[in-house]
Amino acid sequence: MFRLLPDIANDCLRGFRTQDARRSQALRNWFQAFALPNVREARGLELLREWLSPEQLAQYDANSYFDVTGCDSGKRYRICHGTAMNVYEIDFAGNPRNGWCFVPNAPLVAGDVMLAQKIALETDERGALVVAKNFMPTASAFRQHCSPTPTR
Amino acid sequence: MATQIVMDRTGDTRHYFDAMDPQALLKAEERFKELTHVGFTAAVRTSSGEAAVTRTFNPTAEETLFFPRLVGG
Repeated sequence: MFRLLPDIANDCLRGFRTQDARRSQALRNWFQAFALPNVREARGLELLREWLSPEQLAQYDANSYFDVTGCDSGKRYRICHGTAMNVYEIDFAGNPRNGWCFVPNAPLVAGDVMLAQKIALETDERGALVVAKNFMPTASAFRQHCSPTPTR
Repeated sequence: MATQIVMDRTGDTRHYFDAMDPQALLKAEERFKELTHVGFTAAVRTSSGEAAVTRTFNPTAEETLFFPRLVGG
């Protein structure tokens, strides 16, 4: 009987190892599918928050968008939470006049994209608009895109 | 510690280095040149907190941010 114990123990351990491996794989799959994108998004937003001015940060926290001033023209732009077609030139009343689409040429999370757009408009507005594609914003799309949503 | 922050698919990658260490400084300068050579834009924050684009390596910059070239979406 005692001679059989190591074999029994090995069988049990093999079962545990197989179960552990399956559990580990399941955990890895879950992490890659759900947790990792959230971690990336959170890192991007953290970086954005570090670089926004206090006024922009307050605006972003309240509305999920923030305004920047173009360094060359002095025009105001609203950068809404998103990764594409999320930059609007606005008038003094905050109404959209034009839409501008320009993004980093690498797959980045929303926080990174918005930060790159902010720096570009604040430091090289002409350069950003030269590469940007413009679009005519509709009032409903603007409202939908730049409406307050939780970002934290 | 000075930091170089590179935007990438993970959110960002941070490279910390001692700006008083000549070897570390050299490595940081090489990284700066490599990234800007492939189209990254380098930005620093001024003392007033505003972002400024920099074309040359600044050994005194506490934090330098690199983002990929912008293209029309």
